[in-house]
Amino acid sequence: MNSKKFFALLLTILTVLVGIVFGLTLLLRITNQQPVENIQNIGSEPASILKLAGSEPNTLDPHLMGDANSAQYASEIYGGLVTITPALEINLDLAESLDISEDGLVYRFKLRENIFFHSGRKVTADDIKWSFERAASPELNSNTSLTYLADIIGFKEKRFGLASSISGITVIDKSTIEITIDSPKAYFLAKLSYPTAFVLDYQQIEANPRNWTRKPNGTGPYKIKEWRLSEKIILESNSSYHLGVPNIQMVEYQLSGGSVLTRFENGEVDVAYISTSDIDRVLDPNEKLNKLYKQSTSFTTSYIGLNINQAPFDDVNVRKAFASAIDIKKVTDLTFKGMTPQATGILPPGMFGYDSSIKTYSFNPEKAREYLSRSKYGSAENLPTIVFSDIGAGAEGSTDIQAYVEQWKTNLGVNVNIRQTDAASFFADLDLKKMQMYSIGWILDYPDPENILDLKFHSQSAENNENYSNFEVDDLLEKARIETDSLKRVEYYQEAERMIVRDVPWIPTYFSVTHYVVSDRLKNWLEPSIIIPRLRFASLQEK
Amino acid sequence: MTFLDDSKNNKHVDTLEENYKISTGGNWNVFFKRLIKKKLGMISLIIIIVMYSAGIFAPIIAPYSYTEQNLERSLEGPSQDHWLGTDRLGRDMYSRVLYSIRTTLIVTFAVIVSGSLILGTALGLIAGYRGGTTDTIIMRIGDVFASLPGLPLLILVNAALSPKIDQISIWIDSNTFINDFQASGAASYITIFFALSLFSWVSSARLIRSQILSLREKDFIMAARSIGMKQKRIIFRHLLPNISNLLILLISSSLGAIAGSEIVLTWFGVGVQPPAASFGQMLYAGSGTRTFQTYPHLLLVPAFFVTLLMFAFNILGDALNDVLRRD
Amino acid sequence: MLVYTIKRLLWIPFIILVVTFFTFLIGRLGPGDPVSVAAGQIRNPILLEQVKIEKGLDKPILIQYFKWLSSAAKGDFGESYIYQGYSISELIFPKMWISAQLGMLALLVVFGLGIPLGLMAASLHNTWIDPFIVSLLLFFRAIPVIVIIPPLLWLFAVHWSLLPVGGWEGGIFDIYWLYEVIAIPILNPHVYLPVFALSIGGFGGVARLVRITALEIKNEAYITTAKSKGLSDTKVMLGHILPNSLLPLVTVIGFALVGILEGAFFVEVLLGIPGIGRFTFEAVKSRDYDVILAMTAILSTVFIIINLIVELLYTKIDPRIQLDEGIDG
Repeated sequence: MNSKKFFALLLTILTVLVGIVFGLTLLLRITNQQPVENIQNIGSEPASILKLAGSEPNTLDPHLMGDANSAQYASEIYGGLVTITPALEINLDLAESLDISEDGLVYRFKLRENIFFHSGRKVTADDIKWSFERAASPELNSNTSLTYLADIIGFKEKRFGLASSISGITVIDKSTIEITIDSPKAYFLAKLSYPTAFVLDYQQIEANPRNWTRKPNGTGPYKIKEWRLSEKIILESNSSYHLGVPNIQMVEYQLSGGSVLTRFENGEVDVAYISTSDIDRVLDPNEKLNKLYKQSTSFTTSYIGLNINQAPFDDVNVRKAFASAIDIKKVTDLTFKGMTPQATGILPPGMFGYDSSIKTYSFNPEKAREYLSRSKYGSAENLPTIVFSDIGAGAEGSTDIQAYVEQWKTNLGVNVNIRQTDAASFFADLDLKKMQMYSIGWILDYPDPENILDLKFHSQSAENNENYSNFEVDDLLEKARIETDSLKRVEYYQEAERMIVRDVPWIPTYFSVTHYVVSDRLKNWLEPSIIIPRLRFASLQEK
Repeated sequence: MTFLDDSKNNKHVDTLEENYKISTGGNWNVFFKRLIKKKLGMISLIIIIVMYSAGIFAPIIAPYSYTEQNLERSLEGPSQDHWLGTDRLGRDMYSRVLYSIRTTLIVTFAVIVSGSLILGTALGLIAGYRGGTTDTIIMRIGDVFASLPGLPLLILVNAALSPKIDQISIWIDSNTFINDFQASGAASYITIFFALSLFSWVSSARLIRSQILSLREKDFIMAARSIGMKQKRIIFRHLLPNISNLLILLISSSLGAIAGSEIVLTWFGVGVQPPAASFGQMLYAGSGTRTFQTYPHLLLVPAFFVTLLMFAFNILGDALNDVLRRD
Repeated sequence: MLVYTIKRLLWIPFIILVVTFFTFLIGRLGPGDPVSVAAGQIRNPILLEQVKIEKGLDKPILIQYFKWLSSAAKGDFGESYIYQGYSISELIFPKMWISAQLGMLALLVVFGLGIPLGLMAASLHNTWIDPFIVSLLLFFRAIPVIVIIPPLLWLFAVHWSLLPVGGWEGGIFDIYWLYEVIAIPILNPHVYLPVFALSIGGFGGVARLVRITALEIKNEAYITTAKSKGLSDTKVMLGHILPNSLLPLVTVIGFALVGILEGAFFVEVLLGIPGIGRFTFEAVKSRDYDVILAMTAILSTVFIIINLIVELLYTKIDPRIQLDEGIDG
């Protein structure tokens, strides 16, 4: 072999290879991406940047989103007629005043004068009507709009393609809009704070129907300056925001990267959440992190759903047996190191209507066996195959679920099989009510018991995945819907909750507490119980 | 990257099979003597034998069951009760390691039998003996598999396949006399055997085919044919015994690649399903940065055994290749 | 040669066809219902039917497949399920760019570190250094990427706080594309850990191969002749042994690339780098079939082409290898 010849060949090949790859990727880069502004100069600006760890939103189209992560971004970028304050009160956002008719059916919103899209265009009543109709359009095929807006008269018709517009929404003039709902519902206003009711710019969407979410034009306190897919999202404050200009000018969400707490310790991010691996260290008063540690509750109830239409959970005694056979307290204390409190009911503490006297079945293996023997199946051997579905595709199943399955085995002698599924087929199966038992959580969208009790347990609700049906409960929930006296309303809900807990369509497992650390320089950082716009309240203090 | 190197090893064999000379085809003694001389190779063999026997006898040796939980004692470091500590659910890590070896053993054994031995031999025999179009088709399919990126593709195909397998096993549970098919986790094993076999038959098929092609020209086969022996008889009485040793050695050199693939597939969540024990699952559970910082034994324990096993497989593979390639 | 090359080239589409068809079949047939995934939560039968027709899921599977194929050939792999509003190709190519930068650097390290190490071991064959290097290489070969990353990360990012905890911040200087191509990957501290982790197994393989060939060449007659002519050891090493021991490395390029790609799956997941490996991992986790399908097609294509190039290269260099043997022989 001629070595020179070989060398030349090798070099040529390598160069060509490298050249092809670089050339191709460069070409793709140039053709695929719009020219990006040189963001180098950000660093030279005097204003400092709030740095947060985030994950990529599934979508920034508020009418499509149904997950908490996307909603967090959306709540900063967009706005609707109403919003929820950090004190969890409903406040007017785009609307300046609101008149509700005597019968509680007609809501007349008068819009503010100083409301603008990020582009500078003034928001009118037509924009609001257009946004509602977009959320309802069959072409958009939104998963969430019916849940939150179906109370509006004509919304369902439009959603199923039976009407071309929503009859219950009328534009009175440029700055007045009227919404009519089907029955007087105290919680309707709260529903309007959900992203499905956010206002979008029809000019932008019609001009760029496919890609507008990359730099959406909203009315919120922040606007997207740059979104580098999987790398970072940079938000810039909206200097003409009608509810008060935010303190922090620039917020950077880092979408990639490893352990957030390590990045926090290295000064790369300002807020980090604590996991079970770190809680011991953070709680140690000698640790630096301990002084920065905070916790707050979030309105979330995790539960094990038991499908009443599927054997063996068609028998209430089997459900009671399963609920009494697991030691949730032990799991929260040992596996989660006490970071998530055990759920004792359906409504989380701190919620409007929470009643601490409502108690779920407590751990009692003997009672559990007794319940099982009292059921129509009589004993563990007679039970059909039980499959527990859980979201996840990892090499390891959820730790807590594996612990419960073991406890059912030792305390009841029942073999439960775990089936891990992907989120998409899990939710499809959940809707079709195909699964026997499963673990999932419900994050409240607005602070009203209706959002969980009525939505999840009314026999006619589309969200009632467990096929739970109890006429008395239905009756109480319906009474609560139209009750105007809030004390009485609460009583109805508490009565309903007590009955639901007794029937065990859910085994509530945990309420949620957020454990986090906040850097010294970040002040007024909020971790509210539900998702609300929060960035504009925070401020950065430079040393 | 270990896994890469093993597959490289494997592929290396592919390109070199043609070089194995038939003269040593039946000479087991020659191979064995050469192998004995490879000290490192023998040490590796002993390591593998010891670990595999530990896997076989896991139910007897293991102090606990691999599913037995003890939440009060979760995440403990090594102690007298738990020699290698406990995991998040308080399961004994030592017992889980033993059962993970068992999983590795089952997967390597099953894939070698189903893929390399049965599928590979059968296809190699057909291709070599029939020749012509049959040969071309089989060997070209082999080329397809040899030129594909095995592991990434396995992950993707398994990901697409596993929900379907899942549904099938639930169907089996509810519609046939078998009741605990889903719980046994057999379905996930079957998926792995099937997927890995698809990629592992090529090298043995190529070897068998090339040997048959050259054997056909050998005197004793000619003689057998001239006295009117049937094709089948020629293959089973003369051809196969002649190459079986070679085949066993060739296959053993790919053990590491198969074991590594199982670990990777499980790590990605498309392999053995929980609660079955597997090194892939153990490594996954211990690999978070913060987890490693606080509970290093979760990663270090499986890491030690996996590295040792891979080390042994690599060196044994090298030694076997050396022995085979010497002519 | 030419006939052979053409023959092989004709194989490529066939292979891709077979592989993608099977993946397509797995994704579309069987119990999992693509309609309900596409339709989301809407259970209205009329709407379901609409979605079915809209997505072409009512047509026979072969027609669906060829429809997919024809748009895939134009670079359109459909819409991603996880990232709504983005087409799959829009997602894949920028991510491929990130992975490609890492992969190229890792390839450089693999050869840049592997060749000198191998030569060093070979030239110091009779000292303690050779066995030392050999056992080091054996160790690196045996230790899986999954195992090595968490300790490395802990050591460099947590304990010493020298490097960032994974993540990616590349391509800030878009305008100076040349700068980006050459300097950014090297100056960026985000690349050190992943590149090291990616090349750790590969350079062992390269070094091993270089060492073995160098040792073989060392004993050959012409080297002895050269030495007897009075050439210094260094000159012999650089002038004769080095070029000749590089020959077998050509075959390794393909394998090294496969290894780097396989490693990318773990490295990107563990270090949170938004490359193609992590993207695939996410797609696998959420069973995003269209992405899985697209990745299968792209990976197979890339690798078949790499294998072909390597094979042709090898036959060009080493004429002893006869082309048709592997196919018809």
